[in-house]
Amino acid sequence: MANARPGLLRRIVRHRADYLYVAPALLVMLLVIAYPIYDTIYLSFFNTPPNLALEDKIFIGLGNYQRILGMDSFHEATWNTFVWTVFSTLFAFVLGFGAALALNREFVGRGLMRGILLIPYVISAVAASYIWRWLYHSDFGVIGAISVAIGLTENPINFLDSTDFVMASLIVVNVWKEFPFAMIMMLAGLQTVPDQLLRAAQVDGAGPWHRFWHITVPHLKGVTLVTVLLLLVANLNSFTIPWIMTGGGPAGASEIWITHIYQLAFGRIRFGLASAYSVILFIVMMGMGYFYVRALTKGDAK
Amino acid sequence: MAEVRLSHIVKGYGTQLAVNDLSLTVNDGEFVALVGPSGCGKTTTLNLTAGLIELTGGEIHIGDRNVTDLDPKDRDIAMVFQNYALYPNKSVYKNLAFPLQMRRTPKADIDRKIREAARLLDIEHLLERRPRELSGGQQQRVALGRALVRDPKVFLMDEPLSNLDAKLRVQMRAELKRFHHDLSATIIYVTHDQLEAVTMADRMAVMHGGLLQQYDTPERVFEAPVNVFVAGFVGSPAMNLVPAQVTEGGAALESPQGWRCTLSPENARKARAASSRDVVLGARHSTITLSPTPLPGGIEGRVYTLEPTGDITFVHVRLGNDTLVISTPPATRFAPNAPVWLGVDQTKLHLFDAATGMALRAA
Amino acid sequence: MKRRDPWRIGGAVFLAGLTIFALLPMAWMLITSLKTQFAALQYPPQWLPKNPTLEQYSLLLSPGNPVGQEFLRYLFNSLWVSFASTVLGVVVAVPAAYAFSRFRFPGRNLLFYSVLLRNMFPAVVFLMPLFIMMRWLGLVNTQASLILTYLTFGLPLSIWLLKGFYDNIPVQLEQAARIDGASRFQAFILIVMPLSSPGIIATAIYSFIMAWNEYVYALTFINNAERLTLPVGLQRFFTEYATNWPGLMAASFIMSVPVVALFLVLQKYFVRALTEGAVKS
Ligand SMILES: Nc1ncnc2c1ncn2[C@@H]1O[C@H](COP(=O)(O)OP(=O)(O)O)[C@@H](O)[C@H]1O
Ligand SMILES: [Mg+2]
Repeated sequence: MANARPGLLRRIVRHRADYLYVAPALLVMLLVIAYPIYDTIYLSFFNTPPNLALEDKIFIGLGNYQRILGMDSFHEATWNTFVWTVFSTLFAFVLGFGAALALNREFVGRGLMRGILLIPYVISAVAASYIWRWLYHSDFGVIGAISVAIGLTENPINFLDSTDFVMASLIVVNVWKEFPFAMIMMLAGLQTVPDQLLRAAQVDGAGPWHRFWHITVPHLKGVTLVTVLLLLVANLNSFTIPWIMTGGGPAGASEIWITHIYQLAFGRIRFGLASAYSVILFIVMMGMGYFYVRALTKGDAK
Repeated sequence: MAEVRLSHIVKGYGTQLAVNDLSLTVNDGEFVALVGPSGCGKTTTLNLTAGLIELTGGEIHIGDRNVTDLDPKDRDIAMVFQNYALYPNKSVYKNLAFPLQMRRTPKADIDRKIREAARLLDIEHLLERRPRELSGGQQQRVALGRALVRDPKVFLMDEPLSNLDAKLRVQMRAELKRFHHDLSATIIYVTHDQLEAVTMADRMAVMHGGLLQQYDTPERVFEAPVNVFVAGFVGSPAMNLVPAQVTEGGAALESPQGWRCTLSPENARKARAASSRDVVLGARHSTITLSPTPLPGGIEGRVYTLEPTGDITFVHVRLGNDTLVISTPPATRFAPNAPVWLGVDQTKLHLFDAATGMALRAA
Repeated sequence: MKRRDPWRIGGAVFLAGLTIFALLPMAWMLITSLKTQFAALQYPPQWLPKNPTLEQYSLLLSPGNPVGQEFLRYLFNSLWVSFASTVLGVVVAVPAAYAFSRFRFPGRNLLFYSVLLRNMFPAVVFLMPLFIMMRWLGLVNTQASLILTYLTFGLPLSIWLLKGFYDNIPVQLEQAARIDGASRFQAFILIVMPLSSPGIIATAIYSFIMAWNEYVYALTFINNAERLTLPVGLQRFFTEYATNWPGLMAASFIMSVPVVALFLVLQKYFVRALTEGAVKS
């Protein structure tokens, strides 16, 4: 009888043609992902000269990590990153889910409405940052003008130049930009809630709140998990909005990990230090990545 | 047309063998049905014959060519799939044209052949439609048309009728049989429905667990099933099979359920061939008679329920914990729970070795 | 009776508020872009421009003057980089997705999940090593560096989405084609590819928009003004003409037009690209 359980090597050889299909994708990913990961970890153990002559780097073991963990600016950025990530995610999700619920019924102009609400998500973060900088402008900003006009404040608020307001102001922009993502994900999730179930519950006399809580919400667990994870990741990684709007200022009040890393790497050309910083961020990301892949592949297990 | 020879073919998935050392020859112009329960390896066998999946072992010949290592396109076969597999973005005409275009047939010939096939299958008015605009029966015809436009050596069909409703299925069954006759085509036809196999095929190959159980004409498979599995699978309602033990040196059977039955000399010789005392007694519904009054040598049972079908009434009878189904003329009436006596036609009795499941032959 | 449903009314009010929140900034961008610089810098602001003018747009879009020349060059660069990375992305993603859907080769799951994990990695973390690598390859200050990088942004999602498409195309269609005389490759090109074109369009749009809007790599890899893409170019434009808010708003508007138009026309596909996979579980 023929060998029914060939060894791994034989199976690889037998399927060698299959790998040709994935080879280009893997090659690109290896080049642009695997190598950089390796290189980041490698560089994080070195002191690199500021002229980027990497031949002259000096091995310092965990020195970069010790320095980062001892920096005051790191602790401030960590707290800012936490506030930025958590609140951006929370508000984007709440607004998006609310919009999804409101859109999840037939009415005239629903498609148009969905399209309009999605626009902030598709326009570039750069354009969005400039638009909001103009809206927040300390002298000619329209938001300040409105709040004075309706008597909310006496003078226009200095949104971006005040250490008290800057974080909240940036979070508003971020939420504006990404609530549509949460909306579209949750809307897609809502559309998979079986109508039959809802109608059966209605026949059984369940009110709208009861139907929502006992049928819709349990059904949305998977989508919610994926959406929140993707939002968390996106926010942890966001660079453009804080960088263009404030560059981390004033006085580091809107500095988050990513902008801090960029500043260390390309402002002060401290690649070794910035690499160690990246590895720290990286470890946090891997934790989330684990849950992401698990959530994504739960239904696909084979 | 050509004969098809499968020699010791094997297909393994991991450690499991979907097809296990199967050999069978389909003669030129023969209609052979591969039949068996779902998951027994029928589709795998057909796909191996077509070359859609690679053999783990064995050889396949079509005509006088060894096609074991050939691509499907080089085997000169046609296939009809269960879900029809019509190209959804092509019109019916283009669906029919595709196999001809792939073989670089001249345009004029393509058109002629398509019109011919369309006429034969009565789908001329559908040629410009898309598959999704067709009913199941029409899609079925188009799938058949796509198979026959290019006069292949062999037709392979994988449950081609199972997506049709019952009435259409009966009608298409007749048409397929006619089609086989008119073209004297070699056909390998996969089905899980034993009735389809029995009614259409010249010979049927019964499979179970990747193994070929019996390969013979429907009559022979029906009359002389080689083992308990085939006995229970072919025929509807299924053959009654009840466990029993040989006693009196083979002269009689007795059941743990309390009944006893003397065997004819012929059957006694079979019973003595069993590897142990344990045997399985098989009798088709039509070979048992029922009597409301005691029969000499009859087995006593109790009526469980009745299933009138119009021309025949099926009576379910319980012998202790075993249930038998017996057909009677519709005029006979039995009340549930009434005692009845069963008379068995000894010449139509089947005996199987309980340990091996194989039919017992007179020693 | 149904009309009085308080849930419905609440939903409508919420939606209206959200729409205002979403649209107001864009409306203000448009209004500002139609003002003169003088009109823009007034307090309290002119709610609607008293003398609307298209002067900023004609400045940006006419190649005759230095501002327009620069802007159009950035625009063209952005188009080229986005287009090239999108096309290459599709070319690479299609066979990979097909293989992940159809073949059962050793390591398939491991490879597939590591492709998905790409979504997890912050762009900035890769910036340094990629910068070093691009320097080594001599690609710094070339658009090839951006095209290569952007290509990988879209890949995980493209592969994931297209795999979903191929999973839904019955394997029997390919088998039928192979029996009808096609080779494996022909069956793929002639039968499967046309059926997956909605997926290809969806991933292409997604990749295009991602590339069009990308900022941080463009900022880091390119500092030759000839080769800048719009997002970074816009910033230079801003610093050089620091007080020209109407000009900046007009530039932002022009930059948003292609993606918003593309998105509105092909909204269905885009939504599909975003949500595919997540709603399965
Ligand atoms: N691609 C595959 N991978 C693993 N196992 C398979 C595959 N295809 C079929 N099998 C297994 O092989 C056996 C036979 O399948 P099949 O030939 O499709 O059965 P049938 O057509 O008789 O219903 C089944 O147990 C099935 O699970
Ligand atoms: Mg099958």
